[in-house]
Amino acid sequence: MKFMIVGSGAREHAIAENAVKCGYDVYSATEIRNPGLLKVSKEIFLTDILNGDAVCNVAKKVNPDIIFIGSEESLFAGVSDALRKEGHSVIGASKAAADIEKSKGFMRRLMEKNSMYGRLRFKTFSNIEEASRYIDEYAGSVAIKPTRQAGGKGVKVIADLQTYLKDEKSAAKKRHVSDIVDQNLSQDLEDPILIEERVEGIEYTLQCFTDGKNIVPLKIVEDHPHAFVEDIGPETGGMGSISGVENNLPFLNEKDFKISYGIVEDVVKAIKKETGEPYFGVLSGQFMLTDKWGPTVIEFYSRLGDPETVNIMPQLKNFDEIVEGMYNGSLSGIKADFEQRATVVKIVAPKGYPNQRDIAKGHLLNIDMDAVRKTGAKVYFGSVYEEGNKYYTGGSRALEVFAEADDIVEANKMVERAIDCISSDWKLFHRKDIGTKALLEKRFDQANLAKDIFHYREERGLIGKTIDWIPGIGRIET
Amino acid sequence: MAGVCGIYAFDEIWNVSRFVYYQLIAIQSRGQESFGMSISDFKKTDSISGKGTIQESMESYEVNDLLGPCGIGGVSTRDVNGYVSNDIAIYFDGSVKITEEAVQKLRMDLANMSEKDAVRSFLDGLSGAYSMLILTKDKMIATRDKLGIKPLVIGGVGFDLAVVASETSALDVIGAELSRDIEPGEIVIIDRHYIEEAKREMEVAPAHCIFEYVYMARIDSKINGIHIHDIRSKIGKMLAHNKPVEADVVIGVPETAIPFAMAYSNESGIPIEIGFMRTGKATRTAIRPTQMERMIGVQLKLNPVRGAVRGKRVVLVDDSVVRGTTMRNIVNLLRKRGAKEVHVRICSPKLVSPCPFGTEVPTKDELIAVENSEEEIASIIDADTFAYINVEELKEALGGDDFCTGCMTGNYPEVD
Repeated sequence: MKFMIVGSGAREHAIAENAVKCGYDVYSATEIRNPGLLKVSKEIFLTDILNGDAVCNVAKKVNPDIIFIGSEESLFAGVSDALRKEGHSVIGASKAAADIEKSKGFMRRLMEKNSMYGRLRFKTFSNIEEASRYIDEYAGSVAIKPTRQAGGKGVKVIADLQTYLKDEKSAAKKRHVSDIVDQNLSQDLEDPILIEERVEGIEYTLQCFTDGKNIVPLKIVEDHPHAFVEDIGPETGGMGSISGVENNLPFLNEKDFKISYGIVEDVVKAIKKETGEPYFGVLSGQFMLTDKWGPTVIEFYSRLGDPETVNIMPQLKNFDEIVEGMYNGSLSGIKADFEQRATVVKIVAPKGYPNQRDIAKGHLLNIDMDAVRKTGAKVYFGSVYEEGNKYYTGGSRALEVFAEADDIVEANKMVERAIDCISSDWKLFHRKDIGTKALLEKRFDQANLAKDIFHYREERGLIGKTIDWIPGIGRIET
Repeated sequence: MAGVCGIYAFDEIWNVSRFVYYQLIAIQSRGQESFGMSISDFKKTDSISGKGTIQESMESYEVNDLLGPCGIGGVSTRDVNGYVSNDIAIYFDGSVKITEEAVQKLRMDLANMSEKDAVRSFLDGLSGAYSMLILTKDKMIATRDKLGIKPLVIGGVGFDLAVVASETSALDVIGAELSRDIEPGEIVIIDRHYIEEAKREMEVAPAHCIFEYVYMARIDSKINGIHIHDIRSKIGKMLAHNKPVEADVVIGVPETAIPFAMAYSNESGIPIEIGFMRTGKATRTAIRPTQMERMIGVQLKLNPVRGAVRGKRVVLVDDSVVRGTTMRNIVNLLRKRGAKEVHVRICSPKLVSPCPFGTEVPTKDELIAVENSEEEIASIIDADTFAYINVEELKEALGGDDFCTGCMTGNYPEVD
């Protein structure tokens, strides 16, 4: 079977590697000479993966049995539609369906319209003035984001709980709103600014394959969005992720899993109602365990997560069954089969990521592959390109180091030993704390705290409700 | 005594001067004689400083005029510990001396070698205790001496701020989440693009200041992994258990001793009452500089509540006795308001030796416990009975041995 992958990063490297394991011949359509894709592919094609025609041209040459689109931007650009038009079999959401990820406005409206579980109060704004006026009038605790998916860029979560710091926070919020517009983070969207209710808790991702009817959930993975150790620092696309021995995470229970799965199910149905076509590809829910709902939707991905894919793919034993199910048009009766071991993935990023990527570009990376192999860990290549047998950073998250073991703490140790084998004359950083016992304990505490409040709200029938009492106006329930 | 605090915003939409201002208020209990704060806008550093507390001595515009995404500050019972210039600011809690030459060398080293090595070399030149914050134009560096004598914690706010302070109270006040204690001998460098954690060569066990737990730190703080509240409750219970007395009422001397007194009452079953009302604002009498000021401090501060003590046998709980003068005053006040008996219980071990690390324990000839037994002290301060907790009991409550007990034992850890 000929398997073509579209995308340029560690996610695609991990998918392609599993495809090779399934006995497929792998061809890659990619933007950079990713050393991982170079290694596992029969052939790679450097192309503009955001251009449907360009990708169709590659497909024409390869003549693949199935095409897997890894990159969300390709989906947003309608590459899956273009390929399908040419008669190709594609795993990847249509442009219309991928709006669930591309526009958080679309996603929040869809949830609202269908009164879905785990939704949040929100507003979108078409310009800075409107958003600033809103901030002046309602200076609460909010998350301010570009409405469009911007790879983790431009997200601010500002708690406004100290009246004495209100002015400073209000000023920062307004400056941030201007930044979102000035940096054009929402590109072509009509409502570039999203302000939503702030929630707090542990984030986790439930990735699912779906044919629009059947849903195959994968192991739940926890990503770590803060750039630096101890959950400090700017928002990133994710600095590392963990998964447990079981399909669920240790600090989530069966009910959390079921509710999260139910939300994904509802979205698959709602997308069909909205677009008239079944959702065909990958749909991943990025959830947070909050005191408001328990599982609460932060965003959806119309593809596999990055780094979450790297936790999943090396462990997924029946990828071929899923791929061939998709190829035959039905996932009926298929369940994902995983190695029952814990995993840890950590990103190694060059200094400059995420806030000043231009300085993070073009630095030589040295990886002692023999030494890495001895640790039992594996290196997946992200934003790295190969030139004359040498590796250079591309400016974003460079490497994703994976290990599996009997528990998360042990897998972390292996990953750390492997990271010791990586060097550069440019400063590299990674999060030492991910997968340590101390951070896991903190997660249990956070989860329990959220659950205590959640249970109280559940007993009183307050799930998903917000009751405010405003002097002079009275009780407002939303 | 002193305290430090600092904030670093990873992007320039933030102006942190008011954040540092509120942090300084939150660590004010560590020193009310002077304060200073410095803010950098990544180009230059501006500073303000003053006598007293920042709330009393600064107008809001003076604070608001400082603009920038990172800043640090300090409070002290003497002149503020540190160094200020237009490109480097340093504040610390401890006992080291920072010279112009040392800072000049640090400046050069920061330009010529890794920050880690530059800071290591700077610290190698210091002798004594310190929890220190260094603000360069674009970095905030937090470090603790190898023994970890003075506390220092780190945390964060959302995706925006990294926060450091002597005590968690200065994290809570701005809504930050505590991450952890900075470890003894650790250097944490916070930059827009990375946080780097480095350890210095260590061959010594930690020696956390034991006085923090009984006196210095706020009860809502957590330092060196220990909740101050839990320790003070344990000590109160221990005193009730080990130094019992027949009495009608327990009263605590505001503010620090109240939690000890509550625990003493809970354990002994003797009811607790509010025994004193305060006139004027809270000041910590043991750290006012002159004898006269101390007396004024006590009289202004504490007025016994007649109804709570009249005709009763009173257990009077306080956090420490340094010179005994304050205590004698309080006991006399209680007797004049009709207390039948006064039994004094002190929640810290006796102080017998000065502190070389920056805490103002007076010289030996000023310490009442150096040459007087518990019984003798009772007579001096006109109390019926008088008892301390001892160092062993305190260590038992803390559950460990990695403390500096110098002021209570005269045995000091060795510092570089």
